[in-house]
Amino acid sequence: MDPMTFSIIRHRLFRIIDEAVITLKHVSGSAITNEGHDLMVSLYRADGSLLMGGVGFLHHLTSAAEACKSIIRRFEGRIREGDVFLLNDPYTAALHTSDIYLVAPIHFEGKLIAWSACFVHVYDIGAMNPGGFSPQSVDIYTEGFSSPGIKIVDQGEMVQDVVDTILNMVRSPEMVMLDLRSMIACNNVARERMQALAAKYGSDTVDAAGSELISQSETLLRARLQELPNGSWQSRQYLDVNGETATVRLTMTKTGDRLVFDFTGSSEQSRHAINCTKWASLGGLFAPLFPLLCYDITWNEGVIRPVEMIAPEGSIVNCTRPAPVSVATVAAIQSVNNAACATIGKMLAASDRYRGQATTVWHANHFAIFKFGRNQKGGQSIGIFTETFAGAGGARSFADGVDIGGEIPNPISRMANVETVEANFPIRYLFRRRMKDSGGPGLWRGGSGGELAVVPHKAPDGGIHYVISGKGARHPMSDGLAGGFPGAPNKYAWVKSEDGADVVPEDAAAGGDPVSWGVFPLMGKDALYVRWNGGGGFGDPLERTPDHVVADIGNDLVSVEAARDVYGVAVDGKGALDAQATQDLRSRRRAARIGREAAR
Amino acid sequence: MTDIRSVSPTLVQKAGQIACRACGHELAAAGEGWKEHAVLDEKPLGDAGGAMFRSEGNVLLRRFYCPSCGTTLDAETALPGEPFLIDRVDWS
Repeated sequence: MDPMTFSIIRHRLFRIIDEAVITLKHVSGSAITNEGHDLMVSLYRADGSLLMGGVGFLHHLTSAAEACKSIIRRFEGRIREGDVFLLNDPYTAALHTSDIYLVAPIHFEGKLIAWSACFVHVYDIGAMNPGGFSPQSVDIYTEGFSSPGIKIVDQGEMVQDVVDTILNMVRSPEMVMLDLRSMIACNNVARERMQALAAKYGSDTVDAAGSELISQSETLLRARLQELPNGSWQSRQYLDVNGETATVRLTMTKTGDRLVFDFTGSSEQSRHAINCTKWASLGGLFAPLFPLLCYDITWNEGVIRPVEMIAPEGSIVNCTRPAPVSVATVAAIQSVNNAACATIGKMLAASDRYRGQATTVWHANHFAIFKFGRNQKGGQSIGIFTETFAGAGGARSFADGVDIGGEIPNPISRMANVETVEANFPIRYLFRRRMKDSGGPGLWRGGSGGELAVVPHKAPDGGIHYVISGKGARHPMSDGLAGGFPGAPNKYAWVKSEDGADVVPEDAAAGGDPVSWGVFPLMGKDALYVRWNGGGGFGDPLERTPDHVVADIGNDLVSVEAARDVYGVAVDGKGALDAQATQDLRSRRRAARIGREAAR
Repeated sequence: MTDIRSVSPTLVQKAGQIACRACGHELAAAGEGWKEHAVLDEKPLGDAGGAMFRSEGNVLLRRFYCPSCGTTLDAETALPGEPFLIDRVDWS
């Protein structure tokens, strides 16, 4: 194929996905989609293999490929132009039931030429707890509607009885319908643009370009792996849930142009909904692999071929039915993602050539808190605190992590503004801000996480309730690199009003009773306080330039105490650097490390 | 002239030995665990990282220092009794 045509088709595929994402956001009415960007759109070849991975949550690129393949197997001979299939069974391909895949075949001149697939986290899926994350569920049967594949649009016509049946099982069916319509619209746009591409260049040419693109990606990734050192790197992640601790263990081995992710030794599957299936684990490890190793390589099937995963059956990373998985995306999947990010970061950092591409672990611990109840307008509202998508960047070998800098697995994640939340829920923010001392200390500091506190406001029922799947309050999860510290752990607290007085911001940040797992009230004058983790640090904190630490103090990102105790930096009463005291402090610390007196 | 190969941002391999990148102190033969030969500083994370790191958990922060120059070679978090994380680079 001539390189010009190849290049044009490649760029058109990128643009088709962009346009489909815009459509999805414009039609959806859900903050988790529009504001949090908890979504994904990708294109797949006629056999279901990944053709062009899109933006959004990258965990889904490989899982949606399996969804396409599963639909191809299940509906063989019954796949027609204009069909749309729904799949959300985690034991078939999905990550958890509330992340619904809508998968649509793309035909041209009567021939199946490709698939488009997208997901959003729907408003509700009818699980025990509202919103999709269902910490009180004990098995998949209590995690809401779940389908291994069902046709909801038949040759362009909505299969209304099927859709009505689904809507009959969820809370806020009108919002879920909007979610479904947004995904149908998204797939329609992808189909129309792909058909236009085929009309212009011919479907065989488009398919040949796709095939060449996949070969190109495979060749480029294998070449990159050859440039990196052979070796093996380990990581572990602790998942605390309801007083119990589970562990995800990873050994990543790179040999030649192959990469093996081995999760042997990870905990057995949990009775809590933190597990994930093997397709979810595969997605979890690819989420950091795509941006960290393939930042200049097209994300498609070619990237998948050099990679192997070993995930013991019955473990937390490859659970067996009917283990509950509703919290998976913020639990085992995220830990798989974190562990893979850590080991890939170590591998890159081991290479003089690629060290600049290495990163510590970013925002490693989502706090999934869905608030629900009657709102100030008399209607029912369900919605996540999208601050969980705000995240924190990991430090690099040459720079600090970005404060409130998002997360690795979703390059377009963001949070809703405060006013949007307050307009839709009967709550008021006491504050939302960067969290001092949350970024992992290091030569380069991890990006700061954040903190927020909310109270009921104009609530017709005196307040609302919230579902919390809170982990990471006992163990930090954003690992550092090369001696850098992890980011600070999360905190979730129920701050109770004393004698009916308003909770003031200082009290909200200082105290409260821990909450982590289940459904809790936010009533009267009580407050909910949440702190989310910072990114991991890179290198030794004692080697951080003192001026940078002083600047951090001035920006309220590092306390004077942490500057002294962790970074070995002293400031005077006005916050200016005390150079001599700093030098003395650091000399003593270094000497203490090797058990000898300081030189001076 | 001996080949010096990178193992991590803080470690190199030279003449079949894993050594501190900062001072050249040899820690262990390549292929063997080097952490056992570093100075281990293990303490509750809440005591090491500042107030924000204090939690109900009993997680430890392990820091591995070069016994010669005191440079931090690596750090990891662990629950008590966990083995060291093992990272190996194979330059053979």
